[in-house]
Amino acid sequence: MLARRRPAGPGPTALLLVALLAAEARASWLIRRPLSPSGPELRQAARAALHFFNYRAASPSTVRVLKEVLNGTALIREEGENIKVAFSIESYRTENSQLGTCSALVGFKDHKSRPTVNISCTPLLDQKERKKEDYKLYKQIKQLETPPFETTIPGKLGDMDPSLQPLWELAMIGNSFLMWEKTTSTSSYYYVQQITNIKKWIRPDDFIILHYRLLLHEFRTQEIISCHLHLVWHPEKPSKTQYHCQDSGTQENGSGNSEGSGFL
Amino acid sequence: MPMAAGGPALLRLIMRGLPILSFLLTVAFSQKMFSGDQVLRIRAKDQKQLQLLRNLEDSEDLKVDFWHAPARPSLPVDMRVPFSNLNAVKNYLNSSGISYTIMIKDIQVLLDEEKKGMSSSRRLERSTSSFRYNAYHTLEEIYTWMDNLVAEHSDLVSKIMIGQTFEKRPIFVLKFSTGNKSRPAIWIDSGIHAREWITQATGVWTAMKIVTDCGEEPVLTNILNHMDIFLEVVTNPDGFAYTHSTNRLWRKNRAVNSNSTCKGVDPNRNWDAGFGGVGSSNNPCSETYHGPFPHSEPEVASIANFIQKHKHFKALMSIHSYSQMLLYPYGYRKEPTLDNEELHNLACKAVEALSQVHGTDYIYGRAISTIYVANGITIDWAYEHDIKYSFSFELRDTGIYGFLLPASQIIPTAEETWPAILTIMKHAYKNPY
Repeated sequence: MLARRRPAGPGPTALLLVALLAAEARASWLIRRPLSPSGPELRQAARAALHFFNYRAASPSTVRVLKEVLNGTALIREEGENIKVAFSIESYRTENSQLGTCSALVGFKDHKSRPTVNISCTPLLDQKERKKEDYKLYKQIKQLETPPFETTIPGKLGDMDPSLQPLWELAMIGNSFLMWEKTTSTSSYYYVQQITNIKKWIRPDDFIILHYRLLLHEFRTQEIISCHLHLVWHPEKPSKTQYHCQDSGTQENGSGNSEGSGFL
Repeated sequence: MPMAAGGPALLRLIMRGLPILSFLLTVAFSQKMFSGDQVLRIRAKDQKQLQLLRNLEDSEDLKVDFWHAPARPSLPVDMRVPFSNLNAVKNYLNSSGISYTIMIKDIQVLLDEEKKGMSSSRRLERSTSSFRYNAYHTLEEIYTWMDNLVAEHSDLVSKIMIGQTFEKRPIFVLKFSTGNKSRPAIWIDSGIHAREWITQATGVWTAMKIVTDCGEEPVLTNILNHMDIFLEVVTNPDGFAYTHSTNRLWRKNRAVNSNSTCKGVDPNRNWDAGFGGVGSSNNPCSETYHGPFPHSEPEVASIANFIQKHKHFKALMSIHSYSQMLLYPYGYRKEPTLDNEELHNLACKAVEALSQVHGTDYIYGRAISTIYVANGITIDWAYEHDIKYSFSFELRDTGIYGFLLPASQIIPTAEETWPAILTIMKHAYKNPY
């Protein structure tokens, strides 16, 4: 048997080259991570996506509510995560009892809010129906007398006067913008509990201006945050939202503003 | 039974009848059951005095009821002493050199004053059949309803006072029992967080459901033939009253915190299980402030002491809102419990039973991974105190109305939650340990 000479080991230069190449490759690696449909990450992504959708659609008569997360995966990048998620939704207006599905790609940047969202949902109503319903609500709000300053929607018993429901539905557009902006990756999520101190104007160009105070429930800390929100809306034109929140413990202020389109 | 004529047999008969007679008298005068009872506050100076106090607790005859059990010297020990044993207990304390103050001179007076307040408030329901289960109620209305329930179903239900809140409101637990000896038991509490109004309302409906189904529905009847159910409907009375009078979104109790103008401790962070960790706050102004030490809060201590004294609790369910979840331990540790698989499967069954009623979707799992890390929570303490089947419910909804759930959803929520509760109770009954 011929003795074999062991091949020479890689020289130091070769080692350095391999190390450099590996580092280069790792930077652009996208690690795919399967996620449980009942897990918190997918739920968080679905929430952020739906808030974004509701605010961009700016259609108070077809606000959607999350029903069930169906499936999804996470793609881990250096600066955060992209989460692909599919979920079922239902119409906020339970009397319609319509169902639908959405699929979205949500980009969370590490510890930064305002996740990027790319989303498409099945329509709840056809475009003509939706326009009709939004205009109906628009007329109701125009004709409505502004409720007294101390009126809360809902009331403390969870009651909502039917005449005030259009205001609550319109406010959900502004609330959705606020909740989307504040939703970070897996740390916090928010729900609006109540609105009050409602002021309503009609601008000369027929836009409705709604200004109100809202109580936001932050789930992880269980804190209630008071915010003021200013919403400018018209059924067929881009809407605009501005808000200013006061953090209960730290007096920290957060604010933001945006434009949402009339339809998607 | 030998029918011996004459004195000794007759005496024996009377002796046998005495307990029954006194029981009947107690039932007849049940409204005045606490007359003359006092609550004493003791500060034990050292371990020796603490041990003397514990001896008191062990004495069956004196029937002393600790609201704040003997834990460490310098921590107050509060105990309720029945009127008939006051002299004996006070003599014992005096001769042992243990100083005490009388915190409540006569519990009955306190309860009477509470009742007077209730009768002067609006809308007093006369019976549980006219009680509106599809509406939210005040503390007074719920306490009145409780008395009505006990009066109408005294063979099954009794009311026990297990403690007193910071603002001196009584803390009541309803006991459902068809037996007269200590049986393995199930604990249910609702309203530990004041603003979660759907939970107290569900607790009320659930009590009504138990009295309705007992003797009629086979599964529950079977359970009650072997186990007792304890239901604390308003676990945080001070907080609950505050949500009615002042701030509808108040969560904690109304404890005054030293060194802070902020009031309240989160009762669901005050339990002695991973107390003080990152899943709670040490800032009195925070909604998850854990309090100065474990069981510092009477709302928590009263339950812990009651459960530990009873010694036979087999299942515990703590009812919260909102999120539509069914959770089991741990909240404070990443590691699953040794019973993880069994608890997971049981939660699965319970949630399935729930969804059959109105199609409501619930998620279930370990608290830490399903909701968030939380330290010092009820179910973790219960699990670590040998109550294997410890679950936390988060009722409707998922955020549309949150805490301000419309009253129209009370009965549907209670109706769907009941089969889940029953599933857990049935499992505990069929799997004794």
